Amino acid sequence: MTLFETSSMSVAFGGLRAVDNVDIAVEKGKLVGLIGPNGAGKTTFIDGVTGFVPTTGRIMLDGKDISSSPAHRRAAAGLGRTWQSLELFDDLTIEENLQVAAENQTLATFIADAFLPLRSRDHSGVQFALDVLGISNLRGRMPNELSQGQRKLVSAARALAGRPKLLCMDEPAAGLDTQESQQLGLRLRDIIDAGITILLVDHDMGLVLNVCDYIYVIEFGHKIAEGTPSQIKKDPAVIKAYLGSASQESSE
Amino acid sequence: MKNSDQLPTRLIIQRVVLAVFTFLLLLILVNQNLRANFLSGSGIASGALIVAVAIGIVLTYRGSGVVNFSNGAIAMYAAYVFAVLRSQGDLFLPPLPNPLSLLEAPVNFFSSGSPLDLPDIPTKISFGDTLGLFPALTITLLFCILLGLALHFLIFKPLRHAPPLTKVVASVGIFLLLQAIVVRRFAATPRPVKPIFRKSPIDLPFGINFSKDQLIVSVLVVIFTFALWALFRFTRFGLATRAAAENEKGAIILGFSPEFLSGINWVLSTVLTGLLGILVASINTAVDPATIPALIVPALTAALVGNFSSFGLTALAGFLLGMQSQLMVYLGVTQSWFPRSGGSAFPGMDKVVPLLVIVLVLYIRGDSLPIRGGVTSGRLPFSPYPSKAAVRLWGPSLIVATAVFGLFLATPSFRLGLTNSLIGVMICLSAVVLTGFVGQISLSQMAFAGISGFLLSKLATEHGVPFPIAPLLGALVAMFMGVLVALPALRVRGVNLAIVTLAFGVAVEAAVFKNSSVNGGLARAIVVPPKVFDSSRVTDYKFLGITIGDGLQPNPMTILLCLIVTSLMCYLVVNLRRSGSGRRMLATRNNERAAAAVAVNVAYTKIMAFGLSAFIAGLAGAISSYRFGSATPEYFTYTQSLVFFAFAYLGGISSVTGAIAGGVLVSGGLGFTFLENILHVPSEFTLILGGLGLITTAILNPEGLAGGWSSRLNKVTARFSHDKEKEIVS
Repeated sequence: MTLFETSSMSVAFGGLRAVDNVDIAVEKGKLVGLIGPNGAGKTTFIDGVTGFVPTTGRIMLDGKDISSSPAHRRAAAGLGRTWQSLELFDDLTIEENLQVAAENQTLATFIADAFLPLRSRDHSGVQFALDVLGISNLRGRMPNELSQGQRKLVSAARALAGRPKLLCMDEPAAGLDTQESQQLGLRLRDIIDAGITILLVDHDMGLVLNVCDYIYVIEFGHKIAEGTPSQIKKDPAVIKAYLGSASQESSE
Repeated sequence: MKNSDQLPTRLIIQRVVLAVFTFLLLLILVNQNLRANFLSGSGIASGALIVAVAIGIVLTYRGSGVVNFSNGAIAMYAAYVFAVLRSQGDLFLPPLPNPLSLLEAPVNFFSSGSPLDLPDIPTKISFGDTLGLFPALTITLLFCILLGLALHFLIFKPLRHAPPLTKVVASVGIFLLLQAIVVRRFAATPRPVKPIFRKSPIDLPFGINFSKDQLIVSVLVVIFTFALWALFRFTRFGLATRAAAENEKGAIILGFSPEFLSGINWVLSTVLTGLLGILVASINTAVDPATIPALIVPALTAALVGNFSSFGLTALAGFLLGMQSQLMVYLGVTQSWFPRSGGSAFPGMDKVVPLLVIVLVLYIRGDSLPIRGGVTSGRLPFSPYPSKAAVRLWGPSLIVATAVFGLFLATPSFRLGLTNSLIGVMICLSAVVLTGFVGQISLSQMAFAGISGFLLSKLATEHGVPFPIAPLLGALVAMFMGVLVALPALRVRGVNLAIVTLAFGVAVEAAVFKNSSVNGGLARAIVVPPKVFDSSRVTDYKFLGITIGDGLQPNPMTILLCLIVTSLMCYLVVNLRRSGSGRRMLATRNNERAAAAVAVNVAYTKIMAFGLSAFIAGLAGAISSYRFGSATPEYFTYTQSLVFFAFAYLGGISSVTGAIAGGVLVSGGLGFTFLENILHVPSEFTLILGGLGLITTAILNPEGLAGGWSSRLNKVTARFSHDKEKEIVS
């Protein structure tokens, strides 16, 4: 069953079309990769999908058109995301970071909060996220006390705490070495096993080819290929996109 | 964030606004009477004064990225220096108390001999006789160079990587400090200034009547504007400053020191502002501590129109703002359609215009200030989670201790100080919710307090609404106004929001609080408190064999009222910090985008914070009106908003403990009662110490007093707990 779908989604900055008519579909329970060389428009694609830059075209999540919703509604509808630069809430503990994502918000909660701040709220999402990523020991710490690797896990956990249907991850492997990248791959499979679908955006070919079930490749805002990892490995357009410039340089 | 169709809408609005503006301008120019009042010499000259302050603001911003709220105060200060040199031949120095004089009281208490009286720090450098124009001008400008260097090296250079809020705080501190020094030295009454130019009338074409000095100042301002434009456009220095503003790193790579550039720009700006301040004082033939600093609001408006970068646009806007104020006065007197209240023209409309301009400009432009390419960005003070002990033990103990002290032990002067402090705590709390939790700067908290205070007077006195309902209604209306102010704030951030709220406070003060049909004119806006809480009541209360009261004013029961309401509000805010709503507020303050990505409705969160903050301020306004027996415009001025913001920041802007510390520090509060009654420091030093404290806090201890203590405490406890945790992990 298709959980998430974009049809002819575009993002334009002035005259530049950073994302140009990209169609992708994500099956429920799958780990789908979106790859492309630097500057291909991957982060812009995620920003567009999650509502942080204006888009044209249609974005469907679980059968609902969310393309005209603001970012926070999309998140509430089940679209989680992580950030390349992590963007943790530095003034809150790890647990509080996750609680922000796990709680819902109404006028009633605001008024109740003023009088009964510690009444029991549904924080099952927090425990779920800490368990999936195995970081329960960090819950009382502050973000600036953690290592970069731990911060990455917290950033993913925060997105998971809202129990998203689809989790969009922006370059989670950036700055990791090969071994750490492999460990990250295992964590991603844990998330999938916990019943959450992932759209993984990265330029690390190794990671994406290893862990993803299905892959889309974009270059200069266009989709140039899609398929299973084995299909992508052989795709001439992908090889050209990744190696073409390098082979041109070496021939000069 | 769907705004794919926003650009065209914005363009349409832009055109409509421009068309309406042009139409109005034409309408004014076609009608002879309107034209005469619009193009009057005094109108253009008052525009020139605004421009004088405004181009200094733009210069400082381009040079150092600081929006200088104190530029008007700098102009005023220079004018005082000049005026005193001219009339007495003295260069006056800030009156600082000799720190050793604190010892006088204890020594005299113990010794029986002649009282110890230590000499004060000298307060002037005398040049003998009164000085002529040019020596006085030279010395004043030299003084301005020193002032500019001091501002750069002592204040803004250490703050160069601080968050914008801290810079605003520092510049507000300078504003208050300069004003306080002048008030301390020369009182608040105007001081005559010998005019530099003669006031002979000059007739220009189109029926414009100037006096000579008005014309000279206007022309000078235009020349300065052109000179600055040329400086930035054509010289290597200007190019370097522009480069540094775009990208500090880039400028460093190109071999320019951004620090050097910003220092030069500070000096340039203080000298220019000082010179123009002297000319302004010369036109007005007098200088006082309030008039020139108040130019800051129209000047900031003009700078905003010029996007803090265009000298030309800023100057144009400044002139128009000055000219409209003359026109407004004329329209108010002559036109039947002009809004009226109580038979006479609605006051303060000229102050409402800048507010409208700011809101329109920001709405059209949408985004905040052009982002300056700094190397690092700072953040707001840390907001600690209230510990269980603080909530369950220290809080209640403090309340009981305050009650016992206030009801039974305090002398009348300490009772007065305590009520001031308790109300101050509330005002500080309202800043904690908004600035501390959500990171939105509001410089109009006293406007919300005043709205509620004056409404309370109407409701209770004229319509007989009884005690607990009337103040609650007042606070609710203040809350509603807070939500209204929040609406533009959804698109406006940081310093721009500070400007909007400042203009809002000034407009409300001028149009509402100074409106005699609101403030009751000479009869005042009476608020009759319930008898028990009436502060002028001297009856003793006997209760279970305990006597409360000593037959003196103020009535100790007033303290009880303040204490109950303040404690409730403190717990409300503590609860907020411990709850999900508080976490969402802090998340919003930290990172709006990341908050939205985890389903936090950022707009909603801000509106809630504005509403609650205005509610708390409104309640404080109501309670303080009960205490004074009337709502008075003097208590709710924009300067008071600045002062309270200063003390809130000084105490610690992001926690309830900080608000309590701020409340203790406020002018007239417990802290100063102590200084005055026990250590015998004269009360006039209150604001000087406040302004000075604000600046030093901003530089040395941005977490505020309460934050400073608690972060030191946390570091110690964290060390122990971490060691334990590491053992477990490894």
